[in-house]
Amino acid sequence: MANTISTLNAEALSLESVSLWSVTWKRLLRRKSAVVGIFILGLLIFIALTAHWLAPYDPTASMLDIPGYTGQATKRLPPCIHLLGCSQEEPQHIMGLDGNIRDEFSRLLYGARLSLMVGFATVTFAIVIGTVLGALAGYLGGWVDNAIMRVMDVLLAFPSLLLAIAIVTVLGPGLINALLAIGIVSIPAYARVMRSSVLSVREMDYVSATRSLGGNAYDILFRRILPNALTPLIVQGTLGIATAILDSAALSFLGLGAQPPTPEWGAMLGSERNQVFTAPHLVFYPGLAIMLTVLAFNLLGDGLRDALDPRLAHVS
Amino acid sequence: MKRNLFLALSLLILASMALAACGPAATSAPAEPAATTAPVEPAATTAPVEPSAPFEGMSVAAPNCDYGGEFKSIEAVDEFTVKVSLCVPDPAFPSKIAFSSFAIQPAEHLEATGGSPLENPVGTGPYQVTSWERGNQLVFSRFDGYWGEPAMSKTLVFRWSTESAQRLLELQSGSVDGIDNPGPDDFATIEADSNLQLIPRPALNIMYIGFNNNPKVDGFDNSKNPLANEKVREAIAMGIDRQRIVDNFYPAGSEVASHFSPCAIPNGCVGEDWYGFDAAAAKALLAEAGYADGFETVLNYRDVVRSYLPDPNIVAQDIQSQLKTNLNITVKIEVMESGAFLDAADSGKLTGLYLLGWGADYPDQTNFLGYHFGAGSSAQFGDKFPDIVEALDKGAQLASDAERAPFYEAANNAIKQHVPMIPVAHGGSAVAYKAGLQGNPHSSPLGNESFAVMGNGTDTFVWMQNAEPISLYCADETDGESLRACEQVTQSLLGYEIGDTAVEPVLAESYEANSDLTEWTFHLRQGVKFHDGSSFDANDVVTSLAVQWDAANPLHKGNTGAFSYWSGLFGAFLNAPAQ
Repeated sequence: MANTISTLNAEALSLESVSLWSVTWKRLLRRKSAVVGIFILGLLIFIALTAHWLAPYDPTASMLDIPGYTGQATKRLPPCIHLLGCSQEEPQHIMGLDGNIRDEFSRLLYGARLSLMVGFATVTFAIVIGTVLGALAGYLGGWVDNAIMRVMDVLLAFPSLLLAIAIVTVLGPGLINALLAIGIVSIPAYARVMRSSVLSVREMDYVSATRSLGGNAYDILFRRILPNALTPLIVQGTLGIATAILDSAALSFLGLGAQPPTPEWGAMLGSERNQVFTAPHLVFYPGLAIMLTVLAFNLLGDGLRDALDPRLAHVS
Repeated sequence: MKRNLFLALSLLILASMALAACGPAATSAPAEPAATTAPVEPAATTAPVEPSAPFEGMSVAAPNCDYGGEFKSIEAVDEFTVKVSLCVPDPAFPSKIAFSSFAIQPAEHLEATGGSPLENPVGTGPYQVTSWERGNQLVFSRFDGYWGEPAMSKTLVFRWSTESAQRLLELQSGSVDGIDNPGPDDFATIEADSNLQLIPRPALNIMYIGFNNNPKVDGFDNSKNPLANEKVREAIAMGIDRQRIVDNFYPAGSEVASHFSPCAIPNGCVGEDWYGFDAAAAKALLAEAGYADGFETVLNYRDVVRSYLPDPNIVAQDIQSQLKTNLNITVKIEVMESGAFLDAADSGKLTGLYLLGWGADYPDQTNFLGYHFGAGSSAQFGDKFPDIVEALDKGAQLASDAERAPFYEAANNAIKQHVPMIPVAHGGSAVAYKAGLQGNPHSSPLGNESFAVMGNGTDTFVWMQNAEPISLYCADETDGESLRACEQVTQSLLGYEIGDTAVEPVLAESYEANSDLTEWTFHLRQGVKFHDGSSFDANDVVTSLAVQWDAANPLHKGNTGAFSYWSGLFGAFLNAPAQ
C-alpha cells in the first residue's frame, strides 16, 4: 500500500518536473543508433581530454630525437604489438611508425583533440553568426531580410569545399584559417534555419502578448523566439560538426589546413597517400578515425532530430 | 513586391560585380599562358616556302664585350657553317651549346609564332608533336624524314602523375611502358616483379637547403633577418644531421653531399668537405650570433618529387624537427605551388629556408657552381659573394681540369665559409620499365631519356613522368619535365650520348675551336629536314640562338621571357634593358 502511494507520488512529481531535455535524453537512449553515437563520442572526448596521458610518445617527435630510444627507428615500421607476438625487446607501437619515424598511435590520439576542436569551434562560430543574421532577417524583414538572405544564397551557390579552398587561398594555409573558412561556409545553413523558425514563431500569440506588454525587440527575439527555435538548430549543429570535421580533413589532406608537423587526421592521410600499398597502416588508421568520428556525430544528430520532434513523441 | 525584386536584383548584380572585381587578381597567373599561346595556333607549322635564292648568311654581333655576356658574335659563314665568337675563353662551350635549351628551330617558324612556339615546336628530332591535350597527355608521332636512325615506335605518348603510387600502378597494370622516379619504398617491389625492370639513375644532382641573405621583398627589414648573418647560417649547417636524412629518407644509391657538386663532375669535390654534424658547437655558434634562444623562420618547398628529393614532405618535416631539437629554431612549413615557388626563389623573394635541388644538364662545374653562384646567377641566394664569383669566373675560362682545380677549390672553400646554402644529398633515383622491351631501355644521368631507341613491339610507347611540361619551347624552360619532352622533338648543334654525359655531334657534324677557345666553328649536317619540311641551314642556327641572346630581338619572347639557361650559362643578354 505504502508502495503504491509512493510510486504515485513519484509519478506525480516526475510529471511536474519533466523538462524538454530529460524527455529528449530518455527518448535518445531508446534509440540504439544514437546510443552508439553517444558512446563513440564519449570515447573521443575522453581521448581528446586525456591525450597527453594516454599517448606513449610526443606526437611530433621523431624516434631519432628521443634520447635513449632503443627500438628500431625505421620509417613506416609496421605496427608492433607485444600481445600479438611482437618481440618484447622492441618498444611497442600499436599503429606503427609514420614516414617521419613518429609514433602513429600518439599522433592519432592528439588528432582526436584537433578534430573535435575543429568541429565544435567552427560550428559554434557558424551558429552564433548564422543565428544572429537569421534572427535579424526573420524578425526585421523588408530590405534587411533581402540583403542578408541574398548574401547567404550567394554563399550557398558555391560548393562548400570549393569556397573554403578559395577562402584559405586568400587567407593563407593554416589550421585557424581553415577553421574560419569552414565556419564561414557553414553560416548560411544556420541563418536559414533560424530565419524560418523566427518567421513561424513571430506571429504566435505569446509573442504578440510580449509585444503588447511592452517587451522590446531584444526581449522578444532572445527570450521568446530563440528558445523556441533552438531545436532545429541543435540538430543542424550536430550534423554540421560532422561535415566540419570532414571538410577540415579534406582541406588538410590538400595541404591547406593544419600545417606539418601538426597531427591532424586529414594531413596524416594526405602525407602518406602514396604508401597505400607499402604501408597501409598509415592510411587505414587515420581514415578509420575520421570515419568513426563523423559517424558518431551523424548518428547522434539523427537521434536528436527524432527525439526532439514532438510529432514523433509517441512513435518511439 | 516590385521594389523587393528590384532590390534583390541590384544586390545580385552588385555581388557579381564585386566577385568579378576580385577575380582577375586571383586568376591572372593561370590565365596568362593561354593568352600568349592563342596567336600561335592557326596553321603555324606550315612555314612559307623559301625561294631558292643564293644563300645570304645572317650574323648578329655585339658592338663590344662590355655588356657583360659571353657571346661576341654569331655568324652564318656559308649555308652549312656557323661561327661563334666569344668574349672569353670557354672550354665548356661544347657541353653548354649541346644543351636542349639551345635547340634549333626554323627561323620562319620562330617568326610565325612570334618567338614563342610554346605548344608546337618544330625541330629535327625523331619525333614531332601531334597533339597536346592539356592536363591529359602529350602525343608525338614518328618523323619519317628524320636524318638519323628512325624511332622504334610510331607513336610516343607522354603522360604524367604527381603520385608515385599511381605511376607504379599504371606500370604494373601495363597501361604505360615506363615510369620516372618510382617512390623510394617501391624499389623493392619493382625489383621483385619479373614483369618489370628497375634501372638506377646515377646521382648526378644536388638537394640543398637554400638561404637568401637579402630577400627582395618590399618592406622586409634585412637588419633583423637572422639568415643574413653568416654565423647563423653556419650554425644551421652544423646543426642539421644530413647523414640521418639520407639514411632514413633517401633510396639506395644516394649519398650525403660533401660539396655542392657531385664528385662525378670534374673538380666537383675539390676543397674542404662540408661541416660535420655537431649540435653543441652549432648551438654555441648560434648563441655567439645573438640567437641563443633560437628564432622563428619559414621553410618553403614545392610538393613535387624530383630525383634529388624523393619525398619532400618527409624531408621538410625532419629538418623542421631537427632545427627545433638541436637549435630551438621554430620553422613554419609553407608548401608552394611548383611554378610560383621557382619564380619566388629565382627572383629572391623567399625570406626563410627553402628546399631546392639541381640535376646536371651537362657534366661541368659551370652547370653547378657557375649557374648558381657565378656572375650570371639569379637572386636566389641574395647578394652575391665576390670571392666566389671571382674564383668561378677565372676557373671557367681555363681549358684543362687540372688548371681549373685550384679555382674551384677556392670557390668551394668560399662557399663553405659563406654558407649560401647547405648541400644535403645527391639523391639516387631510378626509372622503371616493363621487362622485355626492345632496343635500349635506359636511364640518363642528365634526365634526358630518349624514347626513340626503345620500343615494346607495338606502335605505341607510353611514358609516364612526374608532371606535365610547362611549355615545349625549352629555350625558356628550366623544368626537367618540360626539357625531356622537348628533347624528343628538337635537337641542338651537339648533344649528349644516350644514357651518358659525353658530348657528341648532332646537327653539327664536326666543330673546331681556335687555340684560345674563343672562336668556335661548327660544320653543319647537310640534308637535314625540319618537321615542317623546310631545310636546315646556318641561318636557322643564327636565328634560334640570336632570339635568346638579343633582348632587343622582336622574337625574344619565350614563355615568361626569362631565358634562364642562356643567362645562367652565357651571362648577360645583348641589348638588355637597363634596370
